[in-house]
Amino acid sequence: MSTPEIAIRLFAAVLLAPIAGMLLVGLDRRISARLQGRVGPPVTQPFYDLVKLLAKQGDTTSRFQTACLALYLASNVVSLAMVFLGQDLLVMLFVVAFGAVAYIVGGFSAKSPYSQLGTQREMLQLLTYEPLLIFLAVGIYLRTGSFLAADVLRLERPLLPELPVFALTLVVVYCIKLRKSPFDIAASAHHGHQEVVRGPLSEVAGPSLALVELAHWYELPLLLSIAALLWATPLWAGVLLGLACLLASIVVDNVAARLTWSWMLRFGWAVAVPASIANLLYLYATRGGGS
Amino acid sequence: MRDLLIPILVLSPMAGGALALILRGRAARSALVALSAAALVFAAVALASNGLMRYTPGPLTTIDWNRVVLAADVVLLGWFLALAWTRRHPGAFSLALLQAVGFAFLEIRYGERLRVTQGFVVDWLAIAMVLLVSILGSAIALYAIPYMDEHERHHPGVPSRQPRFFALILVFLGAMNGLALSNNLYWTYLFWEITTLCCVLLIAHDGTAEAVASSNRALWMNLVGGCAFLAAILMLAHAQPIGEAMAIDRLVGGPTPYLVPVALLCLAGFTKSAQLPFQGWLLGAMVAPTPVSALLHSSTMVKAGVYLVIRCAPAMQDTGLTNVVALAGAFTFVATAMVAISQRNAKRVLAYSTISNLGLIIACAGLNTAMAVSAAVMLLLFHAVSKALLFLAAGAIEQRIGSREIERMEGLVLRMPWTTALTVLGVLTMLLPPFGVLVSKWAALESAAREPAAMVLFVLGSAFTVLFWVRWIGRLMAVEPGREPEMTEQMPALFRWTMGSVAALAVLLSLLVTQVMQRFVAPVVASYLQVGSEGFRATVADLESRIGSFPVLGLALSLLIAVALAVILASGRRAPTVPYLCGEPPAEGAELAPLGPGDRPAPVRVSGTYLERFFAEERHAAWMTVGGVLLTAAMLGVAAL
Repeated sequence: MSTPEIAIRLFAAVLLAPIAGMLLVGLDRRISARLQGRVGPPVTQPFYDLVKLLAKQGDTTSRFQTACLALYLASNVVSLAMVFLGQDLLVMLFVVAFGAVAYIVGGFSAKSPYSQLGTQREMLQLLTYEPLLIFLAVGIYLRTGSFLAADVLRLERPLLPELPVFALTLVVVYCIKLRKSPFDIAASAHHGHQEVVRGPLSEVAGPSLALVELAHWYELPLLLSIAALLWATPLWAGVLLGLACLLASIVVDNVAARLTWSWMLRFGWAVAVPASIANLLYLYATRGGGS
Repeated sequence: MRDLLIPILVLSPMAGGALALILRGRAARSALVALSAAALVFAAVALASNGLMRYTPGPLTTIDWNRVVLAADVVLLGWFLALAWTRRHPGAFSLALLQAVGFAFLEIRYGERLRVTQGFVVDWLAIAMVLLVSILGSAIALYAIPYMDEHERHHPGVPSRQPRFFALILVFLGAMNGLALSNNLYWTYLFWEITTLCCVLLIAHDGTAEAVASSNRALWMNLVGGCAFLAAILMLAHAQPIGEAMAIDRLVGGPTPYLVPVALLCLAGFTKSAQLPFQGWLLGAMVAPTPVSALLHSSTMVKAGVYLVIRCAPAMQDTGLTNVVALAGAFTFVATAMVAISQRNAKRVLAYSTISNLGLIIACAGLNTAMAVSAAVMLLLFHAVSKALLFLAAGAIEQRIGSREIERMEGLVLRMPWTTALTVLGVLTMLLPPFGVLVSKWAALESAAREPAAMVLFVLGSAFTVLFWVRWIGRLMAVEPGREPEMTEQMPALFRWTMGSVAALAVLLSLLVTQVMQRFVAPVVASYLQVGSEGFRATVADLESRIGSFPVLGLALSLLIAVALAVILASGRRAPTVPYLCGEPPAEGAELAPLGPGDRPAPVRVSGTYLERFFAEERHAAWMTVGGVLLTAAMLGVAAL
């Protein structure tokens, strides 16, 4: 990769992708509103929300938690840049986990009952989705012979037909990462009220909260690009696949009720993990597509 | 000078230990520890800069060294017998007796086959091990000086047991160096058994019933390993011609016809490294004073086991044995990581994490490709440094708050900001990119990607690992909103210096991971390249393999920038605040107690989550033991077929 190309890709990851992410967040709210029989806000509403949060009083309730949330944001930026630069998918997922850990430690550092309870659930969510994502990376490796995202783009045929289960587990991951029912256990994205209030974010306000919003703008393109790896040629089909997963998670969000953390853990480890392993075993058994 | 290095590394700490028994004053003892530490660090660094070498000691005046080893072995086995007898432990006694009989048979029948032409062979794996033992071991011994003073105030013994304690620690370090460097299996056996004895005596240091019981368990489990080791020696002495029967470099230089002895050595490694089903002794060992745990878990004892298995790896390439070893290691990795989630005792969490990581190292050695063995060696190094830091910090915490319970450490950052910061740093170096342990785990995962069983177990185990680490730092950092620590903390100067340097080492070594790979790891796996198995290439910025790449420099720079930004963003004014309690005002003076019915405070209690419903030890103990026994038996069975 030449230096100008790296610069262009970095520019896209750091500056363009979050704009797309912001519009997607707006679109999500709009679609959810329509599903609930409301008109909903304009798609640029997340931008105004961010400006509003940034304009609020600069005081923080816990400097440590603010620092953690900044690290969370940074990890989302870095992991997105890594995908755009065609880097190692496993390392990219470890960077994502870095952000999740920072977010969780930040939540734990605020000793309020809601923050503690929500953060404990956040931790269990991590336990549920982390293996699913790593299995996905291994699945991609088994067909491409490489963990590098760049090598996925060189494939001539899409991966999805051989990795169908992972499109489904990705919907689960989307639901968890985007805090959607039935997995909005730690903190809900849209529903105004639930028993743990805003979970790990209960003690976060103003500019600190803006960091989290901004991090979500990076998170959405990141999740979309992970889905796009399953149909990387042509790339627009992969983006459509990601959007389909996103739409599926929005629909699930609006038709499903929130369930308990123990249900989530059981579902993840008794259904999603074995299903992923089954798909992997199929790939092992029919080895030969890649190297 | 070169020829003095190995005697210094092996004998000087032993001499220091013996002197510490004679000169019983505190000042003399501290000076001896400091001198031995200086000698060890100096000699280890000199050995590393000297690089590869071979060394065979000349006769001690007129006495052959094999005679000295024989005498030491006789004393040692007698000691085991006496110890098991006085403690009235029939199991340990029979195992010691078995070894004594086996040893006598070995000497009488094969006495002349026990010498080799190359007594010590220094290769890069041995150098890495010697550096770990000498640098971390010395730091821990120095840390123990103030620690044991404080410890003795709580557990007074008359007369002071400190001379014995430090003597054992120093002998332990010498024996570990001997074990790492010796090329003679017969000598290695002596060093192996010395580490067992030191470990067993150190665990019993406090003399309580619990300490003695744990010590007994360590005794019999490690004697099982000793028996396996001796059996391997007997088989090799029987099967091989005179001259080189005991030469380790001959045995493990490449695929060997002597698979059963190799399997027996792996079994011995399993007992030392507390792999399932032998995990019990290391869990019990935490009754000992914390410097002992730090030593056992980081640079000595358990590392001897995995060191031996890594050494044996080339000998079992492309055999059924290596697959079973990989499976057994992966099984331990995932099972102990899972059970660690339910532990409320910080030292127990650390112990399970150690067993789990050792399992991963053994699994990688069993996968036995250049990539996998590279991962094993890296993990051996990085885990030792981070784990030493965590145990030192845990010891400082325990002495201050008088507890090992994670729940009692809630909000510890307010009371012990520096120690907490070092603990959190220790956990982060175990858990997150771009630190060394994580780089090793990445290497392990990618090298396992073609092996379905190992890969699945690695992924699941890694997911469990995140949970127990994050929960612990979560409890340490939990403070009421609005309160922040003053960064002052009283602690003995030696605590500050030893913990500070180990922490610096953990970070520095991670930053230099590509150098570590080039210098220490690549030579270890060089022999694999001949059979077409490729390892990792280290460039300035990345660690690369044929199937992936870890941008070490890029991530380290990103982290630096991110931390700087986080500090700037978080430097704003603090808002005076109270935690949100659904709008209820907190009661006077109690932050987490809103006014409840009748305007009386209704305290809210928050605590960590331990998921005992899913992960309690008792729920899983049975199948873990059964699985461990079956896999160990399978190891021997596969080798014998």
